Order: sequence, then structure tokens, then C-alpha cells
Amino acid sequence: MSTRAPDRARVDNPQHPGHDHDERPRLPASRWVWMIVGILALAGLLAVRGLADGAGFSLPNQLQDLLTLSISVVIESLPFVILGILLSIIVQVWLPEGLLMRWLPRNPVLRRLCISCFGIFLPVCECGNVPLARGLIVKGFTVAESMTFLLAAPIINPITIVTTHQAFGFDNGILVARIIGGLAIANIVGWLFSLHPQQDSLLTPRFAAECRRPADHEHEQSRWSKSVDLFVRETSVITPALFIGALVAGGIQVLVPRQVLVTLGSNPVWSILAMMVLAFVIAVCSNVDAFFILPFASSFMPGSIATFLVFGPIIDIKMLAILRTTFTTRVLVQLTVIVALLSALIGAVVNFVV
Amino acid sequence: MWSNLQRWRGVALVATALVATVWLAASNQLVLYIHPRYIVFTVIMAGIALVLVVAGLLARRGHRDDEDAPPARLPRLLSFLGLAIAAVIAITMVALPPATLTSATADQRSINSTTVGAQAQNVDTVASSPAGAFAKFTVVDWASLLRQTNDLAFYSGKPVDVVGFITVDPDDPDNVFYVSRFVVTCCAVDAQPVGIPVYYPNWTSTFKAGDWVEATGGFTANRSTTSAQGIALEPANVLAVEQPSEPYLY
Repeated sequence: MSTRAPDRARVDNPQHPGHDHDERPRLPASRWVWMIVGILALAGLLAVRGLADGAGFSLPNQLQDLLTLSISVVIESLPFVILGILLSIIVQVWLPEGLLMRWLPRNPVLRRLCISCFGIFLPVCECGNVPLARGLIVKGFTVAESMTFLLAAPIINPITIVTTHQAFGFDNGILVARIIGGLAIANIVGWLFSLHPQQDSLLTPRFAAECRRPADHEHEQSRWSKSVDLFVRETSVITPALFIGALVAGGIQVLVPRQVLVTLGSNPVWSILAMMVLAFVIAVCSNVDAFFILPFASSFMPGSIATFLVFGPIIDIKMLAILRTTFTTRVLVQLTVIVALLSALIGAVVNFVV
Repeated sequence: MWSNLQRWRGVALVATALVATVWLAASNQLVLYIHPRYIVFTVIMAGIALVLVVAGLLARRGHRDDEDAPPARLPRLLSFLGLAIAAVIAITMVALPPATLTSATADQRSINSTTVGAQAQNVDTVASSPAGAFAKFTVVDWASLLRQTNDLAFYSGKPVDVVGFITVDPDDPDNVFYVSRFVVTCCAVDAQPVGIPVYYPNWTSTFKAGDWVEATGGFTANRSTTSAQGIALEPANVLAVEQPSEPYLY
């Protein structure tokens, strides 16, 4: 089913004859007005900050921490999201047509295996991979293939491997469990979703419509202006989700006492569950989550650490908010359940075997 | 209206966040939110993105988004609501003065609930260190030593001079507090509170939780009867100080 790119795109679309491609280089006057309004608003906000600073203004501690945590997630993730959008633009606009498709094996299983290894060349963590995975779908990958990439890439990206090795070395099989487990989960999930007869129905209607949009006027737009256009469109999809995900992640952090999770650490079953919950709420970037979890290593069993390192990059509260831009809620629930079960299994194997 | 909002919301949010980021970087306050190792990367990506934002604002539209019919009322309402929430975060990024995490988060995350990270001090190396070395020891260094040994002889003759903010020892809130710092691996989200106990009877009459102090003295047996800590800093002096420009430790 999923061997070839679906033929949904690249059909002439009779609905839009003659786009209003205005050859005049002038912008509408309203655009200028809004730009000036925007700049003035930013200046006004900065002035407010100056006043607040001067007046020694301060919020209640918990509200302040909620904002600090949320802003911290945004500031930390945004550069990676931008990098992901840039890579997505390169894949969609600048790579020669069919370059990626040409050398990939035809056999669906081997093909997904290859795709799951793309991440080795891409130092982008999970949130940056979403725009890239979207770009791959637009470019003709099936949804299942793109999902395979999305799940594996944050775990096998070079920075993640290096930091995990720095944190844990080869002790207790944590590094090996992480890499093999991540690849296995990505390929299993890719296989499961490839069984779905209608790949398009896994996507949100808006994104599915975008994938169907004809590429028939490519000649009219230069690559540069297409890149800029894509940047504007992708940011409008991803950033609101990122901000809301950041707020939810910050809110949970302020509300749920950390101690609750840590006390569960020494039980082989509970420690795995606790680590999944921790990974879900903490939403820390896969590039550095090994360092984050290292201090817990003494109080948690190695298998639960492995679970954290496999589950966290794929599923967390911020990721779900961002993934919702692309996949339906139903798919995300299925994805969460499958990944949770598989990563718990990996953790249990490490706990009981190693 | 709907189509314009759909198209420009991302650019507006990104532009606001980028202005906040660049402003923080220029005023050396980015460390309040992220680990210093990300600063260069963050600033470079912010620069690239700002160029794209400006290009996006000045470019003609490639295709009309209003080809998509506006969705039904409920999804549209949710979309507006989500955008409003995102906008609030974006606005606070610019409008509110940047802040470090407070003692509320330190309490909520339970101080010293995890062992101190990779850079922690080792008892054997420290035992043979020259006396001058201890002046540079931070809260994190001492906390890692306290976790490794409770041997009072080890601490004798090792002067302590640390800066941190006050968090309350829940077991003896009147007489013991922690001089604490957050340890950050990636960003403020993963900050772990680390602290060393200080025996200071009736400290609440002089300080309050969250105050930044510099404490000097030496470790002795904790004279508090209810505190769970066997060893505490017997302060020679506790001085109120300004919050340091890099409040987190790494």
C-alpha cells in the first residue's frame, strides 16, 4: 500500500484558474499600516517593560514561575523549530525533484528502515522535526513513512547519541536500548499506520488540503519567494501550537509536585510508569534529556531511564500540541498508546534482563 | 479577516518572540531561560528568522489562502481562543521584566531530591585539595559533598562561602533554611533545586524565603532537633546580596 507516493497531488486543479499573481511589485497599503501598527505595538510593550522594571513590579511567585517556565520552553524550542522549517524548505523547494525518492528501496519495510535512519544526518530534536516531516509528506512520502522519520529522528540524531553516551556511557545497556528501541518503535509504528487504507485521513483536513494543492504554478514563483511563502505558512501552523504546548507544560510543572514521581523510582513497574509521566510533563528536548535524567539514575532503575529516553522524544505534552497541527486527534491517541506500550516493554526488558 | 489572521499569526508570534530573544541576548539575560551553550545557536537562528520574517512581510502572496473556506463556528472559535492564549505568552515575553525561577518552584520540586549532576565534587579529590580551593566552591559543590559523606572531620578546616536564595526547611522552618540554587541542564524547565542547610535560629525575623544571601562559615553537626539534616552550615555571617546575573548553576 505504501510503497509509492500516493497520487493525490500534482493534478491540475480547475478550481483556481488564473491566480491573481500581481506582477506589480507594490504591497497593499493595508499591509504597511499593519506593519507600522505591529512595530508600534512592540515598542509599546517594551516601554511597558521599562515601566514595570522601574516600578519594582512583581507577580505572585507561582504565576511568575508559570510564565518563566513557559517562556523558557518557547525560547529553547523556537530555534530548533526554525531550523526544522528551514530544512523543510530545503526539502520542498531546493532539492531536485525526486532526489529523495530515487535511491530509496521500493520494498516498504526496507524503505521505512532507510527513512528511519535519515535522522543520523539531522541534528534537529523533536519539535523541529515536525515541519520537516510535513515537508516530506508534501513532497510525496506517505503519512506512515513520514511518521517513521518523525519518531526515529530525535532519538538517533547525532547530538542525542553523543549526549546520551556522555551521560551514561555503555552502562546498563541504556544507550543501546535507546537507539535500538527508538528505531524499532519508529518502524513498528510506521508499519502499523501503513496498514491504514486511506493515508490522507490520518491528517488534519487543513494539512491534507495543503498536500493536495497543485504545484502547477511553480514556474511563476521564484524559489526564493516560494521559500519565504513557505516560511510564513509553516510558522502560522507551528508557532501557535508551540506557544500553547509551552504554556501547558509550564502549568503542569507548577501544579504537579515532582516528589510524587521520584518516590516511585525503585519499583520495576511503577518506576517505568513514573518515568513515562515525567517524560510526558517535562517535555525536555531530546538533545539533552540524557543530562536531565542523569541525576535520577541513582534512584530509578536503568530500564525506566531507558523508557524515559525512548518515550520522551516521541511523546510529550508540547509535542502533542505541535503534532496536532498535522495529525488527527484519533491518530495521536493511537500513537501515544502504542509508543507508551512499546517503550514500557523496552524498559521492562532492560529492568529484568540487564 | 479569517484568512489574514491564519496567514499572519505565525509571523506575528515569531516576530514577537524573536524581539524578546534578541533583547534578552543583548542584555545578557538569556541565561535566565536557557543554558549558556545554546545562546550562540539561539541568536543565529533568531537572526535568520528575522530576515525571513521581514522578507515574508515584504513579499507578495504566493497563493490565496482564502481558497480554503473558513471552518465552522466552533473550530473557528477554538482557533481564536488558542491564538489569544499564544498571544498572551508572546506579549508577556516582551512586556514583563525577565525573571528567574522563584523559591516556589524550589519547594515544589523538593530541594536535593536528585543527586547533583556530572560536575559534582568527589570526596577523595577534595580531601587533598589546598585550602584556597574551597573559596570557589558553590552550593552545588558542597551539596554533592554533603550527599557523599557525613564525616565531620572531613569538613573541619574547610571554609564555606556561598551565594544562593533562601528556601525553607520544612522540618524546622524557624531555625533552618537552605541556601539554594537551581541547576540547569537545558532550560529553566529542567531546573533542579540544590541547597545546603544553614542553622540560623529565628532567621525569619531577618530574611524571608526567596531572598538572595551570601553565607560564610563552616559545617558542624546540625543543632536543630527536628531537621532531617545531620550536618548544617554554622554561619559566621549571612548577608543579603543582589541576585547574581547568572542565577542558575550548570
